[in-house]
Amino acid sequence: MQKKYSSLISELREKLKDCNTTHDLVNIKSEYLGKNGYITNEFSKLRNAQESEKKKLGKELNILKSQAHDIILNTNIINNKTKERFVDVTLPGKNVCVGSRHPISITINEITKILESHGFTPVTGVEVENEYYNFEALNIPESHPARDMHDTFYVLEDKLLRTHTSSVQIHTMLNKSAPLKIMTPGKVYRCDSDPTHSPMFHQIEGLYIDKGINFCHLKGTLIAFIDEYFGKKMEIRFRPSYFPFTEPSAEIDIKFKGKWLEVLGCGMVHHNVLKNVNINPKQFSGFAFGLGIERLAMLKYGITDLRMFFENDISFLSQFERAE
Amino acid sequence: MKISGNWLKEFIPNIKINDKLTYNLTSLGLEVSSVVKHKGDLIIDIDMTPNRADCLSMLGIARDLSAVYNKKIIFPKIANLKITPSKKFINKIDKKICGSYGALVLHGVDNTIKTPNIIAERLNKCGISKVNFIVDILNYVMIEVGQPMHAFDLDKINRLINVRYAKANEKINALDGVKYTLNKNIPVIADDNKIQAIAGIIGGDYSSINLKTQNVIIESAFFTPTVIRKAAKLFRLQTDASYRFERGVDPCLNNIAAGRVLYLMKKYSNVKNYQYNLTTNKELIKKYNHVINVKYNFFDESLGVQISRNFIKKTFKLLEFNPISYNDKIRLTIPSHRFDIKIEQDLVEEIARVYGYDNFEPALPHNIFKINKDHSIFSENIINGLVSRGFNEIISFSFLPKNSQLSTNSISDIIKIKNPISEDKSELRASMVHSMIRAYKYNVSRQNTNIKIFEIGKIYNFVKPKKIKENNILSGIISGINAENNLKSDQENLSFLDLKGHLQRIIPNITFKPYKNIKHLNKFCQATLYQGKHTIGYCGEISQNLYSEYGINNNLYYFEIFTDSINNVIDTKYKKFSIYPKIKRDLTILVDDKIYVQDIIDIIGEKSFNYMINSKIRDIFYNKKEFGDNIKSITLEFIFQDCNSTLTDNTVNTEMDKILSLIKKHFNAQVRT
Repeated sequence: MQKKYSSLISELREKLKDCNTTHDLVNIKSEYLGKNGYITNEFSKLRNAQESEKKKLGKELNILKSQAHDIILNTNIINNKTKERFVDVTLPGKNVCVGSRHPISITINEITKILESHGFTPVTGVEVENEYYNFEALNIPESHPARDMHDTFYVLEDKLLRTHTSSVQIHTMLNKSAPLKIMTPGKVYRCDSDPTHSPMFHQIEGLYIDKGINFCHLKGTLIAFIDEYFGKKMEIRFRPSYFPFTEPSAEIDIKFKGKWLEVLGCGMVHHNVLKNVNINPKQFSGFAFGLGIERLAMLKYGITDLRMFFENDISFLSQFERAE
Repeated sequence: MKISGNWLKEFIPNIKINDKLTYNLTSLGLEVSSVVKHKGDLIIDIDMTPNRADCLSMLGIARDLSAVYNKKIIFPKIANLKITPSKKFINKIDKKICGSYGALVLHGVDNTIKTPNIIAERLNKCGISKVNFIVDILNYVMIEVGQPMHAFDLDKINRLINVRYAKANEKINALDGVKYTLNKNIPVIADDNKIQAIAGIIGGDYSSINLKTQNVIIESAFFTPTVIRKAAKLFRLQTDASYRFERGVDPCLNNIAAGRVLYLMKKYSNVKNYQYNLTTNKELIKKYNHVINVKYNFFDESLGVQISRNFIKKTFKLLEFNPISYNDKIRLTIPSHRFDIKIEQDLVEEIARVYGYDNFEPALPHNIFKINKDHSIFSENIINGLVSRGFNEIISFSFLPKNSQLSTNSISDIIKIKNPISEDKSELRASMVHSMIRAYKYNVSRQNTNIKIFEIGKIYNFVKPKKIKENNILSGIISGINAENNLKSDQENLSFLDLKGHLQRIIPNITFKPYKNIKHLNKFCQATLYQGKHTIGYCGEISQNLYSEYGINNNLYYFEIFTDSINNVIDTKYKKFSIYPKIKRDLTILVDDKIYVQDIIDIIGEKSFNYMINSKIRDIFYNKKEFGDNIKSITLEFIFQDCNSTLTDNTVNTEMDKILSLIKKHFNAQVRT
């Protein structure tokens, strides 16, 4: 190779040593390989060379060109921005702010998801309710001792804060015809306040009306629900109870730390209730159930004081960051 | 109700008092809440449901158990009670109050006799304290068979007994030491002179018996449950008697109980002679013994299992329903103690209870139901958006303290609770702002000062007198610094624009319009929220008034979204975009400080300049010295792009000139160079 060609390569190498921006690199590239670059010019000079030299020179120039090309291409630009530096990766990440759902909402969502998989459609309704829909329609007449179980807040003579979400079921049955399969989550109110009772709490109730629904369906559906909710086969006690709107009525207890805990009330819908909403009990039967959300949430998270749910202390709430 | 296990052996001989017994009780619906061992006996506490008034006695419980143990019960021994023909002791009985009144009169009783040990012990186990011989016997029989009774000192009764409603302002000094003022809804037992007892609830002090009493009238009556219930509720009085009467006592039981009392009196005391007066409403008793005919297969259909006819028949026999089979049916006469049984569905529960709920095989219904989700139900996406942006969800009481909303709502809007649990929970919230500020304040008092919270809930208003409207609301509040875990140099106080940013991110297509009429927000810093033409809420800084009302000296930014008005459905469609280079141009102008930037952007947007694909605000700053008071410098950025070719500077310059003259014209703007 001609001497001037090999010194050109070392000159290029020198230049690239000082080059530390992309911009400079582009300039250097065009200085050698651009339209008016040195190597390009050498090629055009080739035209004037002697025929005998032409072939040899051409070959050498091509080698030079590809060498220069490779050298430029393989140059790593090291500038301030991309220089490797120490970073303390243990410093806090920026703008991390994880919020939380309320444990009650988380519990409601978990329950509704399971019930949806069983075909229950969510329905909501009013909280300030007419006495009729909260009591009479549900087979709880004025004089009924069962009203003792419902210490009721009144806002007007015949308007009250619903004591259960069953009133939503009555409205739904009146508005839609059987068969139907619904669930009604929401707030309910009772005149009661101590560590285990709150004047406001949350319930979810389910209702399934269809042809040929029997007691074993009630039991099967609810046991499946409980096992799914707790994520394992639970020890369950299914025992007779009493609700004016169901017959037979039952309660489900689960064994928790060696003790039976009541989690759910249920039963076959009382014929009087079906008649009140114009469903013929000779054609249709159904079951209903209801459960308190707070109680399940307390079990699941080990919360011991019901009042915590409504104090809204961030120190409490932020513990449920990852719970969903 | 507390019972003694060993006592049950008198009704069902050889019954084993063990875990199996308590299991069977619960399994029958007589839920055992606790079991205590006591000197070789078990004291079993049962939570009785209100429908099973018949089980408020040893007899009733034994009768239920007999169906499970398949053994007929042994009835307590009863003296043969003869009714004395002349009604010497009973005068007028109000039929509405009392269906049957028995008066067992005993002369020359020695009430100083020691109550027999077996009776005293059993009463003690059942949680009834000793009083004196006669009263103990009456209490014993009440626990044994379920009939509450009352003993009057005959010598303190002037002539005849009447059962009637009290007159207004009649008074009685009752056994609990309280003087009750009565009214016309209160049933009483009275003689010619005075009120001697509140019927079925509590006796009077005057005619009560003591150790010196020798002659007694023992009342064994049936009182109408609703009448007793109303009266007991009025006085908030619950006695062993009222508890049973208001749930209902077997109307045919009073003679049996009187016979049992007489038997025990004869056995344990010197009593020989008696008189028994009785007034009974036969029509009422008849109503209690109704008949239900039911098909055998109704049981199978309702319960989902095959239940043998034999089992059904045997069960009803032991429960004393006098079953008679015919064709494919069974005829049942409902006994007077089971007045809770009204329709055939009730009979299904009887069979299910005795069969054992645990013995039913769980089954899932086969029909498939499609979930029919209401699209108006508020989107979880928006809530999750808030959570992922660091908001904590709270749930507050729907109640607020008395008169706590007067700064935000007119008094006629506010719904008051007629029977509040306390003054601080005596009205329903008419807006969410108080709930939010209270939650904020609570947290500040607990040293949490960086707050981002939200709540989904209802507000309640009177829209007309007696017409109530409930609205679903999502509201929230932010205060403090943006991210408390950031290094100090990266922290900032939250501002209105933080709140706005959150809302823009979580609610599709939201726009903000300046506003000033929301009372509880700072009138210089509030906006209404829109989606298209629909108002969906508002937001802004809390007003000066509320800050002072709550004693807050930090900035609070509040929002409220009407969740029923919001549209969650985002209709995403692909739009073609240009591949030719974009040209960016900045323009810096000086305008009056009161001019809303959005107005400038909107006017430019309306005109639609050629090739302009976007315009936005880049920067704002003030410099009094250079620009003067109330003047701000705004830098706007415009982006131009053509779909079909590369734009030239000239084309863009032409458009920029047009934009500039438009801004100059509308906003009296000057170009800053």
